[in-house]
Amino acid sequence: MTTPTRPSLDDPALTIALEHAGIFEPIPMARTERQQEFYTLGDGEMLLNMGPQHPSTHGVLRVVLKISGEQVVDLDPVLGYLHRGVEKIAENSDFHHIISQLDPLEYISSLFCEWSPVMSFEKLLDVQVPRRAEYIRVLTGELNRIASHMLFLGWYALDLGGITPILWSFAERDEIMEMLAAVTGAKLLFNYFRIGGVNGDLNHEFMSRLGDWMGRAGAQLEAGMGLLNENEIFVRRARGLGVLDRETALRMCTTGPNLRASGVPFDIRRAHPYSVYPELEFDIPTRNEGDSLARYLLRMDEVRQSLRIIDQCLHQMPDGPIMARLPRLLRPRPGRAYSAVEGPRGQYSCYAMSDGTDQPFRLRIHDPSFLHLQLVGLLMPGNLIADTMAIMASLDPVMGGVDK
Amino acid sequence: MVSAYWNRLSLGSRAILVLVPVLLVVGAVLTVAAALLLGPLLDFINANLPLGRFVLAATALIVITIPIAFLIIYMELKVIAAINLRVGPDRVGPFGALMSVVHGLKVLSKEDFTPLGVDVPIFTLAPIVVFASIPLTLLVIPFAPGLYGQDFNLALLYFFAIGGMSVVGLMMAGWASFNKYSLLGALRAAAQAISYELPLTLSVVGIIILAGTMSLNSIVHQQAGSLFDWNIWKQPLGFIIFFIAATAEANRTPLDMTEADQELVAGFATEYSGMRFGFFFFAEYVNVFVVSALSAVLFFGGWNAPFDWPFPVTVSLDPGGLGLGLIFLIALAPVVGTIILGLPFWLLSSRISTLRALVTGFVLFNLLIVAAFFGWAFVSAAWVSGLVWMMLKTFVFVFIFVQMRGTLPRVRVDQLMSFAWKWLLPASLLNIFVTATAVSILANR
Repeated sequence: MTTPTRPSLDDPALTIALEHAGIFEPIPMARTERQQEFYTLGDGEMLLNMGPQHPSTHGVLRVVLKISGEQVVDLDPVLGYLHRGVEKIAENSDFHHIISQLDPLEYISSLFCEWSPVMSFEKLLDVQVPRRAEYIRVLTGELNRIASHMLFLGWYALDLGGITPILWSFAERDEIMEMLAAVTGAKLLFNYFRIGGVNGDLNHEFMSRLGDWMGRAGAQLEAGMGLLNENEIFVRRARGLGVLDRETALRMCTTGPNLRASGVPFDIRRAHPYSVYPELEFDIPTRNEGDSLARYLLRMDEVRQSLRIIDQCLHQMPDGPIMARLPRLLRPRPGRAYSAVEGPRGQYSCYAMSDGTDQPFRLRIHDPSFLHLQLVGLLMPGNLIADTMAIMASLDPVMGGVDK
Repeated sequence: MVSAYWNRLSLGSRAILVLVPVLLVVGAVLTVAAALLLGPLLDFINANLPLGRFVLAATALIVITIPIAFLIIYMELKVIAAINLRVGPDRVGPFGALMSVVHGLKVLSKEDFTPLGVDVPIFTLAPIVVFASIPLTLLVIPFAPGLYGQDFNLALLYFFAIGGMSVVGLMMAGWASFNKYSLLGALRAAAQAISYELPLTLSVVGIIILAGTMSLNSIVHQQAGSLFDWNIWKQPLGFIIFFIAATAEANRTPLDMTEADQELVAGFATEYSGMRFGFFFFAEYVNVFVVSALSAVLFFGGWNAPFDWPFPVTVSLDPGGLGLGLIFLIALAPVVGTIILGLPFWLLSSRISTLRALVTGFVLFNLLIVAAFFGWAFVSAAWVSGLVWMMLKTFVFVFIFVQMRGTLPRVRVDQLMSFAWKWLLPASLLNIFVTATAVSILANR
């Protein structure tokens, strides 16, 4: 039996076969000037495809990097692998159903994805939410914020090559998720907020778990952070990496921790207060450096503030109903309503239009991850391949929200 | 009638029925052949003793890499699990100890895939080149007095030269893989090897100046004595440089640029699968062992004990002089020992049956004999105690490597390079300068 001889790489027939097999990525036909510019290779440059199945692209982002040696010259993010058309789905489901459809947007902090549309529907319907329900929303929301930031800490360290912090932070995150599961019934996609209140009152399991956890949370979170904050390798890699200055941050519509790390103390909880945040005492941490380290440290400061808020919520929690009295079928008057909440990644906002039926005429969802992902085009060029994922992780986008 | 009998047999019985006569015939033939050829064979081995020793050592070193790699993989799984607040493997074998064996079997049973477009001969050879350099470096390391592959005056130079050969294999893998990530990983490997071979080699020049030889065996002999005769006290800076550079040389976190999985998927090994990938994996772990062993040999006294045994032990057991006592030992000691050791169990607990107590006693007796044998070997045979000390020291360093992987993030590639050229290289030159000056001053005084 003879083995078939392999043709050499110079063989045009092999080139065609490889292209057919998809090994040589055919360069797409340039549709815009920008594409033309990007796919024209200079001297010593090459294209490197990262994702959608790369180990550290945070979901299914694909980035085509134009590299010269190890240095990234230019990049082209390719989005849409998680696109579900959620805004269109929302137009065809009634107001109660929409909430569960919006949960998987930012699956890491899904309470905030529910919160802003629920608030806008309440504005459309002129519903007064009971105070206990508002306190429960703040309490569970801040827990979810801590869980999200814990996940950020773990992923960020993992993208820099540290394998332990993610497991340490997951221990805390898992405890929070168990708590939220006790009160909401689900561990990731909670589907908990309702128009006019929340789905269930705080129960014994939640309260006992929360009481246990609050007693040791501070010390344990500090221990997890100490693993990175005092690590010379980590600090040297993160400091001065992907510096986002104040003007650029404002110009690129950055919100949330990424904006505050660039020195702008803008927090919707204080700037446009909603829910019961005016009654609670907390600071808005800001940092002026605007680099990856500042973004990381700022999130850790936010965790401390969230612990403060949770503590106050537990002390000030009023008695009373958790749902406003509402008809089963909701038909708001025709009109528009806008609402925004401060999520762990920035401003989640929602613009709802109603034409008087039980389904919204249009639901526009503003997601911070999409805008933050735009920043990678500004921050990455000039850095090394090793830093591309570190910069992207420090911006903390979630692909579910980007692709919607 | 024969076939009916045959059909009633189980598979194992059939195998025994067939194999026993076959083995008898083969054994008889071999015995006759040995009787005829043993004399000339022994003469040949006696005539070519160095060659025989080399072949034996090379074979032994290739074979011992397997348990060493399994042990280090298991250690890494368990230690990193402990650091990560996990349990780690605990299903296969006691405390999951057979996990790495299962890993090996898994790798063996996977498809050995050759992607389209790779340069097949180089792609196939690369893992072999990477793996082959490791037992070759083990060849010069003295594990115990008299227990080494080869000892010659250029051993250290040979070690670094052969150790650098694995980079050639990595380059081959990266280039032949027809993958951009592999290529980047391979180029990083080459750049890193060039940057870190220099401080690695220069950091041990201080020891060469002190020892006056590059033979590892003589270096170990010169560190004989107690803890304070080890080279670490004379060359602390050299050891720090050596250890950092060795981390890079073994491609371990935080300096594992070549296979940074968050950046380059799996670096040079991206396109490999099955046992070819297994070879890279294997080589990495054995390399950790080799580097740790060299640290122990150069700086921590090799097989020398850290302290002299505080009280003299002389075991003068001459079996031939025992006479009737020997018969007693062989025939009666197991029985008496079993009964004596099993008696407490039988007496103290009514729930233990007589048979069980006897079995427990027998097991305990055997354990005692094994322990006594090893204790006797440790005390009376220099190579046993030497091997034990050497392995202890080596695995302390292996543990440090594993722990570093559990705790530290990865250094960026440009920081890696600038650290090598701006800090390690000048520091190692300074180390050479200070050592040479001190040696010449002390010699002239």
